[in-house]
Amino acid sequence: MTTADPALPRPRPLATGGLAVVRRNPLLVVLVAMVLIFQLTTGSFLDPANLSGIATDAATLAIVAVPLALLVISGYLDLSVGSTLALGGLVGGWLAGQHHQSPAVALLGALAAGALVGAVNGVLCCWFGLSAFIVTLGMLTAVRGLAQQLFPLPLSGFGSGFAWIGGARVAGIAAPVVIAALVLAAGALFLAFTPAGRHVFAIGVNREAAHLSGIHIRRTPFALFVATGVAAALAGAIKASVLDSAVAGTSGAGFELTVLTAVLLGGVALTGGTGSILGVLLGVLFLGGLQNGLTLLNVPTFWQQMAQGVALVAGAALACFAPRTGR
Amino acid sequence: MTPPPYTASRRHFLALSAAAALAAAGCSAPENTAASAKPSRSGGTRLTKIGLDYPFTQLPLYSTLVKLSTARAKQHGISLLTTSDNASADTQATNLTTWVARKVPAIVSFPMVFEAAEPLAKAALDAGLIWVTYGGSLEHQSADIRFSFREGGTLLGAAAAKWAQEHLGGKGKIAFLTDDTIELGRERTKGMIDAFTKAAPGVDVVAREQSIDPDTGLSRTKAILAKHPDLNLVLGVTDAAAYGGFKALQQAGRAKDDAKTFVGGQDGSAPSLLAVKQGTFYRASAALAPKDIAAAIVDVPRAVAAGKANPSAQVPITLVQRADTARIDALLAQNA
Repeated sequence: MTTADPALPRPRPLATGGLAVVRRNPLLVVLVAMVLIFQLTTGSFLDPANLSGIATDAATLAIVAVPLALLVISGYLDLSVGSTLALGGLVGGWLAGQHHQSPAVALLGALAAGALVGAVNGVLCCWFGLSAFIVTLGMLTAVRGLAQQLFPLPLSGFGSGFAWIGGARVAGIAAPVVIAALVLAAGALFLAFTPAGRHVFAIGVNREAAHLSGIHIRRTPFALFVATGVAAALAGAIKASVLDSAVAGTSGAGFELTVLTAVLLGGVALTGGTGSILGVLLGVLFLGGLQNGLTLLNVPTFWQQMAQGVALVAGAALACFAPRTGR
Repeated sequence: MTPPPYTASRRHFLALSAAAALAAAGCSAPENTAASAKPSRSGGTRLTKIGLDYPFTQLPLYSTLVKLSTARAKQHGISLLTTSDNASADTQATNLTTWVARKVPAIVSFPMVFEAAEPLAKAALDAGLIWVTYGGSLEHQSADIRFSFREGGTLLGAAAAKWAQEHLGGKGKIAFLTDDTIELGRERTKGMIDAFTKAAPGVDVVAREQSIDPDTGLSRTKAILAKHPDLNLVLGVTDAAAYGGFKALQQAGRAKDDAKTFVGGQDGSAPSLLAVKQGTFYRASAALAPKDIAAAIVDVPRAVAAGKANPSAQVPITLVQRADTARIDALLAQNA
């Protein structure tokens, strides 16, 4: 298969002019409006320190959202990322704290754990043809149980080396933000400029047609499952590093829904075949900014809950009525 | 324990784990029912089995309690059974119904929904079994194991206020990381805020944010710091949330032992106890001893079976600070 194959759907470029971008990503308008409102009402939303905080918080979400978005575009789903995140953080922290391994070894251990979970998901879904929803839902529970069995007590005190993963700054920017930017760029380039990126769309649109077109309909989604597992474990290691602690039962609990919300808000269709990394970035920023702004406004708990729900539905409705991206 | 999706996800998590974190930590349930302990028909008999139904299996305290309770039970020739409720009230009801049907002689249950547990407790008593309510009281029960959850908050709030008077001259800024979703959290929150504001009225309360897990504690405190970089105190309804606040302050450039900063929480969780012991600005935790709880889990049903008067137990909560090294070491050992 070559990039010139006319049978494959052609992904849209990331941006073809400001108006086109806005039309395809109406969440951008909502995001800008939200930022303006929060800035006007709090006076500190756009402070560099606050923006840095939002970016750092949203980084782990973005790191997982990118490969998950690719997976959803290809017509699959991974609901096990919350538990994989916990396992990754625990394995990394355990290697760094209990076994005094270098940060690199600890990180590799975490990533290996995530890759293993992703590979199991991938084999069961792509080669055995089992439902991704059921398989990854099962893995969500199974991996959580495994993590609790292996690490029944909280881990903490991972050392200054491991703290570097989440706490280092590169050119003044927090390391997790740099990693997230790299993941976002890699995801966007992959989708826009590689044959495999087109295959992702093709598989998501019509798996059988893609197969008949000569596309490996198992290999690409399998790789995306592994990438999603690795990304979740990386996010877990970052969170464990930032907090210098990890708890098997609660780390990453509910994260799968948060990241899926970001992906869907960004315009990625749950049915597969459409979506963009720019949309995912907007979804991530929207969630991060909304939470932060409500905190700055000191909105009471239950009003926050209601405001978030309403904002999400509004964002999703906008995304729904916008022109589809990616095909 | 954790918040919303930044919406749906975190709210969902909260619903389950607010109760979890707090309860696990040893808070108890609404005390709105008359605690009329009824003598068990199995009084005077020797127990061979106790069923421990602790629903929040995702919490570290679960493993600790099972381990310590099993060891304690073994000392008395008793085997300990456990349920796996996964923080689900429905699953809990099913498991308890099974135990009653199987006639497990003594059941120690921490009901997720106290009102829903009444018929189960009544069925157990009617079947001649011992029912011990953990974390509160039911109308139908043999005895109970209680915790004063408001007292933990009060101890923490009072200690923080005293510190603010001594080190900040009664001025400064405080943020509370609270829980308003369940009765247990509300009680702890009330105890903490009331005690602090009463004893340190000159300290400005700049935020009161829902947070029971470290991740939320971190992000909320970061946001608060963006608006109030001179924040002095963070008090948490759980140690987990407070630990997130502790990390946020450090990441904002606060030295670990900053003399003008105070963080405190409730639970006595290991990372927080270590931070207290190391002399950081994480200065206090209102802690329950897992060993005391485990002892009550075994000893209260034994006392009921033996026909003792007033078999119920009140597990004490204490505030640990840097000077309490021996107490911290003992708590850490129990959590090891």
